[in-house]
Amino acid sequence: MRLGGARRWLVLALLVAAAVSAGSGVMNRYYLGVASEVGINVILAVSLNLINGYTGQFSLGHGGFMAVGAYVAAKMTLVFGEQVGAAFQPLLFAGALVAGGGAAALAGLAVGVPSLRLRGDYLAVVTLCFGEIIRVVFQNSAFFGAATGLSGIAPWTTFGWSWGVAALTVYVVLALVHSTYGRGFLAVNDDEIAASAMGLNPLKYKVTAFLVGAFFAGVAGGLFAHMKRAINPEGFNFMRSIDVVVMVILGGMGNTAGVVAAAVLLTVLPELLRGFSDCRMIAYSLLIIVLMLLRPQGLFRRSGKGGGL
Amino acid sequence: MSEKLLQLDAVTIRFGGLTAVSEVDLSIGHGELVGLIGPNGAGKTTMFNLITGVYQPTSGQVLFGGRGLLGLRPHHRTRMGMARTFQNIRLFGSMSVLDNVRAAMQLHRRDGWRQALWRGNQARESERGVESKARELLAIFGLEERCQENALGLPYGEQRRLEIVRALATSPRLLLLDEPAAGMNPTEKVELARLIRLVQERFKISVLLVEHDMKVVMSVCERIAVLDYGRKIAEGSPVEIRRNPNVIAAYLGQEVADA
Repeated sequence: MRLGGARRWLVLALLVAAAVSAGSGVMNRYYLGVASEVGINVILAVSLNLINGYTGQFSLGHGGFMAVGAYVAAKMTLVFGEQVGAAFQPLLFAGALVAGGGAAALAGLAVGVPSLRLRGDYLAVVTLCFGEIIRVVFQNSAFFGAATGLSGIAPWTTFGWSWGVAALTVYVVLALVHSTYGRGFLAVNDDEIAASAMGLNPLKYKVTAFLVGAFFAGVAGGLFAHMKRAINPEGFNFMRSIDVVVMVILGGMGNTAGVVAAAVLLTVLPELLRGFSDCRMIAYSLLIIVLMLLRPQGLFRRSGKGGGL
Repeated sequence: MSEKLLQLDAVTIRFGGLTAVSEVDLSIGHGELVGLIGPNGAGKTTMFNLITGVYQPTSGQVLFGGRGLLGLRPHHRTRMGMARTFQNIRLFGSMSVLDNVRAAMQLHRRDGWRQALWRGNQARESERGVESKARELLAIFGLEERCQENALGLPYGEQRRLEIVRALATSPRLLLLDEPAAGMNPTEKVELARLIRLVQERFKISVLLVEHDMKVVMSVCERIAVLDYGRKIAEGSPVEIRRNPNVIAAYLGQEVADA
């Protein structure tokens, strides 16, 4: 349960990511691309797991948060990219990612505060609608390229950036949840009435989960934009949110290690099965149905006991 | 008036046309052990929810430590020093026994998400303090060996005990127990009575015991208030209550009282 020397692990993961990134010139670009995508999906799934898994809120808004982050970060580097020297590019990129994350967190706050009094299905519907609203707003805003989106974005997302941020996300979620403070997220999930009777403010925990989750979804969006080099509103539709939800369910709600494994699996598998890509959504649906019947606690969870790594 | 820890003045609550609790006065002093009894549907749990803030009274007021509680939500009241257990056990099912207690100790801590993320020396020190205090509390109630077990894996009696430990972990001045004897066998009830006395003596806090079971209340409480149809029909020592004709009538029916 304790997170012994967790910070040391974080530093180690960051170093490995940086080292691999430095040597990436000699590696196959396709594999590097898939690896970067794995990192981005890990960020999305682990951050959604804080909301849906640990805190027990059913959010379908991750695609929307990701879109906010992607557009804000991309716009920023497109506007300022020319003006800064090459040496400052990583700094600009980092700034753009944080700005994208911040904007997404604000969006999370905007959708979270009024709607978190809702429970279960109702919250899912509201967050789903929110994601669609975001998409339509971008689709109709000339500033963000309307339906064609933004293109010519600098290809700054390397393996190191994506895995580095993924490691950071995993650390943040685990460190939060495994503190005495963070037991509140699980308490709210287990029993909201008991949690408030123990002096914990359920609303505050829910909003915090939304804020943190949305922030990292936004950062993932920024990384995504600088990997694909072109983004359009269709890339952040409802299916994007569903993809992430599937990763969380498959990995097991509130089980970070499982969710990471599921994110890796669900990024690599479609690449391996490109020939059958038309059947992907059918396979997803079947997968979820079978999983709910056979292993409702998720693929990678040892027992019904929550709060594990 | 100010020396009373909890004071209810003419508290009334109506749900539509139904008056569930009507003009009830009740006070609990520091360190006092008070029982609230009454037949099924008398309004005991409603009273409980009025005190803890689940419901707001239609009229009348609830004072805690001299302060009005109007509009304060349950978690505010817990921070003021009011802790409760639940009639139908509500432990945190995904957590270990130890973490159930730890979660209840967050409310008075200054450490929040910043300390959780940075984990500096001070934060780790504070986390260790929380853990050892939680273990200490569990040890007093004989649950220290169960620390790492899942809370819902405990036998029924121990789950009840853990609920009391968890409530005590919030450092309350007033402990509210909602039908703690519900579903217990006679041996467990005797053990429960011992436990409640231990809590009161050891932690020097006030206890309000809402209970259906007469035996437990009679053996533990110094003062008892009786509710029937939402009204307080009697208040006094266990001996007085046992002889009170109104109480006998309420529990056994009118004819027996007349006889």
